[in-house]
Amino acid sequence: MRLNNVLVVMKREYLQRVKTKGFWVGTLVLPLFVVAVTFLPGLLMAKSKTTQSIVVVDETGRVGTPFAARANARDGQVPKGGKERGLMVDESRMARFEVKVELLAADRKAQKADLDRRVRDKEIGAWVWVGPGVFEGKPVEYHARSVSNVFTQDALRDDLTMVVRRERLQRAGIDPERVEELTKPVPLETQRVSEKGSRAEGGAVGMFFALGLFMMLYISMLLWGQQVMNGVLEEKGSRVIEVVISAVTAFELMMGKLVGICLVGLTQLGIWLGTVAVLTAPGIVASMALMPPGKSLPTLTLGVLFHFIMLFILGFFAFATIYAAVGASFNNLQEAQQAASVVAVFIVIPVMVMWPIINDSSSRMAVVLSLIPLFTPLLMPLRIAIEMPPAWQLALAYLLTLCFVVAMVWFCSKIYRVGILMYGKKPTFQEIWKWTRYA
Amino acid sequence: MTPILELRTVRKAYGDFVAVEDVSMAVPAGSIYGLLGPNGAGKTTTIRMIMNITPPDSGEVHVFGHPRTAADLQRIGYLPEERGLYRKMTVIDQLVFLAEIHGLKRAKILPDIQRWLERVDLAKWSKSKVEELSKGMQQKVQLIATVLHQPDLLILDEPFSGLDPLNQELFRDLLGEYRAQGKSVVLSTHGMEMAERLCDHICLIFRGRAVLDGDLKDIKRRVGGNAYRLMATGDLDRLKTLPEVEQATVQNGVVKLMLRQDASGSAALRQMVEFLEVHEFRSEEPELEQIFLKAVRDAA
Repeated sequence: MRLNNVLVVMKREYLQRVKTKGFWVGTLVLPLFVVAVTFLPGLLMAKSKTTQSIVVVDETGRVGTPFAARANARDGQVPKGGKERGLMVDESRMARFEVKVELLAADRKAQKADLDRRVRDKEIGAWVWVGPGVFEGKPVEYHARSVSNVFTQDALRDDLTMVVRRERLQRAGIDPERVEELTKPVPLETQRVSEKGSRAEGGAVGMFFALGLFMMLYISMLLWGQQVMNGVLEEKGSRVIEVVISAVTAFELMMGKLVGICLVGLTQLGIWLGTVAVLTAPGIVASMALMPPGKSLPTLTLGVLFHFIMLFILGFFAFATIYAAVGASFNNLQEAQQAASVVAVFIVIPVMVMWPIINDSSSRMAVVLSLIPLFTPLLMPLRIAIEMPPAWQLALAYLLTLCFVVAMVWFCSKIYRVGILMYGKKPTFQEIWKWTRYA
Repeated sequence: MTPILELRTVRKAYGDFVAVEDVSMAVPAGSIYGLLGPNGAGKTTTIRMIMNITPPDSGEVHVFGHPRTAADLQRIGYLPEERGLYRKMTVIDQLVFLAEIHGLKRAKILPDIQRWLERVDLAKWSKSKVEELSKGMQQKVQLIATVLHQPDLLILDEPFSGLDPLNQELFRDLLGEYRAQGKSVVLSTHGMEMAERLCDHICLIFRGRAVLDGDLKDIKRRVGGNAYRLMATGDLDRLKTLPEVEQATVQNGVVKLMLRQDASGSAALRQMVEFLEVHEFRSEEPELEQIFLKAVRDAA
């Protein structure tokens, strides 16, 4: 391998990407996009003033009116004293109702049939039938055209439960006000213990911090890994590869490409991490009054930063070499898409297991999964952001991933070398496997 | 003198199909060497083996007097049959990159690039992306890229295909300059006329075999000793039935005759006057096309 050739290729790959407007737009817009995707659905739900009109028929005569009063009092805002769920939006709080109580008719069957008709004709959104057995635990009927509105149903259930519970308490001779007073939830004030001692840190904030860093890595690996594939396909498609490969070897070209695009990813990640570091620096966000008083954000320490960058590099090389081999094997993006999506699955799996790991980052599952080389680059940083894992686990993870990356570079460069000059029909996986046996 | 490029019984097979069968050839330094043959004869495969793009199954490739190394390839200018550049790169970045992978430094090459772009009338396009250029302009950029690093040996696969007459002329001039500097060119073509005008040496490839190889003048003397030019009226089709005649091609009333090696010109003429009104009959140097057809017929 001639280092100078690798550097020349690397420089091209880096500058060609960083010089584009797309890179800068992506770098600046993506974080906004992520924030939007996280918070927008809640905001939209709050803004959309869909008020469901509901008719209640109450056989007991004790539930209907207080229920209607309670439900109609919902204004789509978070009620005071509601349960604390961190920064997460509790969608059920956003429901709005217009509840009307209707009297019980002599013919219940006819009344129910008529209510169904009104729902069908869209005169009303839904109707609720409170039967006499409600205090003994019998269910309340809810009829609507669609029953997938789980958030609305949550809200209705909450309101019905409150009303029925009060009635049950009163019947048992207990003062409901007193019960409410005595069963108030205990607020939890989370304190994170680190080397520097304890400090108050919002649990939800800590989670968002870890999640944010995790998502950054995830997006970078997926994005820049696929960029490697696209780059290889472009060289192949435009046929420029033949000229390039007559001057530099396939391995030099592949390494130059990998290092160059890795640096692009690092540049982007650097900008993002820099932003996070500034935002989480003590005082800044607090001064923006976004944080509850007395709590502080977790800060990006140098140790965390180091592991993030190292693991990004390892992860990038693990996936990008595979993407390079995939790109070399096929003639165009369409052909490569299938194989590329198989690779992407391995990047997506960590996203699927991230919640249990965020909840308990030192569980056996978290430890085992974060030691598997393909998952280490994403899951280990997630664990690190939550709680620094023991040194032996870190060392083992690095060692395993490094071995894996070396093996992948060795293996994929064989496919790459043969593949980049293969044109014609789409190769089968058996054929690609055979390429690795050449020379 | 050691040849600048030498193939020694080079062979390449794809499955049962032998694309190149034990081809040997030697390119003398300072010459333009034509690799001729019909489509599918194995020219491109041969060139790709020279460039180490396709590894040969057996045989050796020597360049600059020793077995080829990766560093040697940087001293070669290669124009592949399938042209292509990075579409999103600007002309200047593209040329700098292609020069850099051949071991040149950016600062050193920039004035050269400027000079070349001016020469081919592309100076004002230097900051444009390649995809914004017309096909002809892209061809010119590619030509510059091939010669920019001042290679000692040019390997050109079908250099004239797809070029308009102006670019063809530009290219011919370029090759002339190259030869004048004592550098060497290997080019493949199936255009006989072009090869005849340009090449000092030729190698004729047919069905993967080198059927004819050597100095063009020698070949003409050796193979084409029995070529005649005939102007006559009458039943020209009957010429082909004469035992002495190997080839007869009629063009604008002029018949180009190729007689068998051992046949006598006067004997043939005696027979011709039986059914033709002969106006002119004289011995001449054969055209490459005739040699080509004869060699192919002999080989088949």
